[in-house]
Amino acid sequence: MQKSDLLNNLQKIVGEEYVSASSAELYCYSCDASQIRGMPDFVVRPASTEQVSKIVSLANDNEIPVTARGAGTGLAGGAVPVEGGIVLDMSSMNRILETDLDNLQVTIEPGIVQEKLNQALEPSGLFFPPDPGSSAMCTLGGLIANNGSGMRSVKYGTTRNYVLGLEVVLADGTVINTGSKASKSVAGYSLTDLFVGSEGTLGIITKATLRLRALPKERSVLLASFDDPELAGQAVVKVLSSGIVPSACEILDRNIIEAINTYDPHIGLPEAGAILMFEVDGTENTVREGIEMIKDACSTLATSIRAASDKKERDEIWAARRLVGAAVSRLDPLRTRVYVGEDIGVPIKELPGMLHKVREISDEFKLPIMTYGHIGDGNLHTGMCIDVLSDEEWEKLNKAADKIHRTAIGIGGTVTAEHGVGSARADYLGLELGKALDVMVLIKNALDPKGILNPGKMGV
Amino acid sequence: MNDEDMRSILKCVRCGTCRSVCPVFDVKGWESSSSRGRMLVAHGISQGLEVDKGVFDSINTCTTCGLCEEICPSGASPVKVIENIRHQLVLQGKMTDAQKLLRTEALEKGNPLGESRDRMAWLGDSRNDLPERSEYVFFAGCLASYRYPEITKKTFDILRKFGVTVLEDEVCCGSPLLRTGSDPSELISKNLEQIKKTGAHTVITGCAGCYTTLKNDFPGELNVLHVTEFLADRLAEMDLKKLDLKVTYHDPCHLGRCNGVFDAPRQLIKAVCYLEEMKSNREKSKCCGAGGGVLKGYPELSLELSKNRLEEIPGDVDYLVTACPLCLTNLKRGGPRVDVLDIIDLLEMAME
Repeated sequence: MQKSDLLNNLQKIVGEEYVSASSAELYCYSCDASQIRGMPDFVVRPASTEQVSKIVSLANDNEIPVTARGAGTGLAGGAVPVEGGIVLDMSSMNRILETDLDNLQVTIEPGIVQEKLNQALEPSGLFFPPDPGSSAMCTLGGLIANNGSGMRSVKYGTTRNYVLGLEVVLADGTVINTGSKASKSVAGYSLTDLFVGSEGTLGIITKATLRLRALPKERSVLLASFDDPELAGQAVVKVLSSGIVPSACEILDRNIIEAINTYDPHIGLPEAGAILMFEVDGTENTVREGIEMIKDACSTLATSIRAASDKKERDEIWAARRLVGAAVSRLDPLRTRVYVGEDIGVPIKELPGMLHKVREISDEFKLPIMTYGHIGDGNLHTGMCIDVLSDEEWEKLNKAADKIHRTAIGIGGTVTAEHGVGSARADYLGLELGKALDVMVLIKNALDPKGILNPGKMGV
Repeated sequence: MNDEDMRSILKCVRCGTCRSVCPVFDVKGWESSSSRGRMLVAHGISQGLEVDKGVFDSINTCTTCGLCEEICPSGASPVKVIENIRHQLVLQGKMTDAQKLLRTEALEKGNPLGESRDRMAWLGDSRNDLPERSEYVFFAGCLASYRYPEITKKTFDILRKFGVTVLEDEVCCGSPLLRTGSDPSELISKNLEQIKKTGAHTVITGCAGCYTTLKNDFPGELNVLHVTEFLADRLAEMDLKKLDLKVTYHDPCHLGRCNGVFDAPRQLIKAVCYLEEMKSNREKSKCCGAGGGVLKGYPELSLELSKNRLEEIPGDVDYLVTACPLCLTNLKRGGPRVDVLDIIDLLEMAME
């Protein structure tokens, strides 16, 4: 089919004003927050499942790639159309379809922004727990497709734990529903789990029923300072094995502390080799008890421990932590944060060792590597800032990232704990998954025989 | 494009945080109408992206409100990048009809409104007995002079009691040109010359656009005060009575967020009545939708932005007050459910 015919057909499906082939628009949809690039031929903003089904069916008939995109905040190129074709910008499908408070459930369209969902739920005392740093702008569809998580996953788990059912448009345009509104179901293969985290390679999510939790009555934040990140890593192992489950457990290294203090000077984090930020939530009693247990567990390793004095301080610290990924760019006007090799996960016991390895890699490549992340579930974000106009620095950065990835796999970890594989990490999946990757390929071929759904991703 | 300009574009890590606040993106929904998209388009232009309508619509729909910059975690400066790229394009002769018109009118007639009438007509009879020299000079601005002569007269009537004078032949401050990529130096020189002639050490204006231009774009370090700053320092001398009113206040972006003037207007309002804040206020205040050439170039979009801002008016106020004639114009266009007042109108009520 000619491009002009395809454009006509797309316009017929969604209306003229929701299809763009303007060069400016295509340029804007050619990337996300990663270094992956790919120019689409069309960007389409569908408004209903029916429209999505028609678009995908049209694309399948004509073997045109379709890449779904939420807010484009991904760090692995998951929403980048590396083989061109159609980008489906799902952010207009952003309604809350049904709030079922008695069953602690909500049914949503995929384009709704995480924070907006939680703002709408707040008056009813419920919330959707997965809480990525990008919650102010990322969409639920993106979160589900990447099985995203965030700072509270140490207690609340990942998005997968909250998806009860999905409506999915398959590669040929067929619409299926997976899962059940019952909180437990073993009827058949768990197709819901298959689509969660499939990064748009198996189908397009057009609706989701989510499990909610009651908002905790109390929260408290504790900051523990350490001489170096390895000691902080040891403290995490100690805290988690003491029986307390914090609702967040974050590590910030020296540079990250400086970045937060630069971003918002009045937060005034203490100077230290590393800080652990713990959050405990629950009832008044469980929070008090949790804080005491964490203090005890950290006491022999930490140089100082302090609690956030009030809600305002707690919220400010948390808001700053949320944005730190990009805020490290503020440390040096000549350098910009580049998201490469930034999302490894390792078994908790290996944390201190991995932190030590990161430091060695930093020394080896003479490249400052800042470490932060959800250390409570072994998820480390390694932040590298380079002069983006220097080819030499790019080369160093890529070499360091490769070593970080291989080291994580070598100690039984993963190249991506929450950001996704996309194109950026696709080459490591063989190494990490072995023959399991062949099974992924079989599933991909069965569901998308023409390979139109987000091609070039996840190693399939 | 030089390295410095390129670095300022690449400072954006494309995290998309600006999507959560950009008022234009909120209306349009396309990536090219978010700050991140505009940074990408600026990058695209440097890489040879053809400058067509799509590029203009991306680059020129920014109101330069700066809210993205306020929250940008990576410290990027989208407003600077956008104004710079507009300027680069204009230098190459690439601009829209709206940009051309603004420039021609401002340079040829001394105001971007295309007015040929007497700019100082608002002064009425008082123009004959003004001091030629004074420590303070009032810079009225184009919109105030031509569209709001009564407010302007009221403003000056208050100011002249403190010995303030006006310029003999004020012309546009250059703000509309600066925001849309054209060179305002001719206008700046003309105004500056006259300011020097009055011997004034301080220029006072009631317009947020003039304020930021006089303060940040005029050469040298001109002492610039917004009318609200000048009057807030003289509250004791003003004999204001309390009004039985509840009002809310819209922070003009170029006065508040860009220059940190938040307290003076609030001080004045609180001196005469009860103030209830809008949903977003001070540093996080949403734009009225008029700035950056958007009202001129994209009036329909500008209207949508205004409506969205008006939705933030709290429940039971009597008036929406602001301190900039451009905000006043656009907020009125949006069909507010309460009257919109310039802060001078409110003060005048308390003087009667």
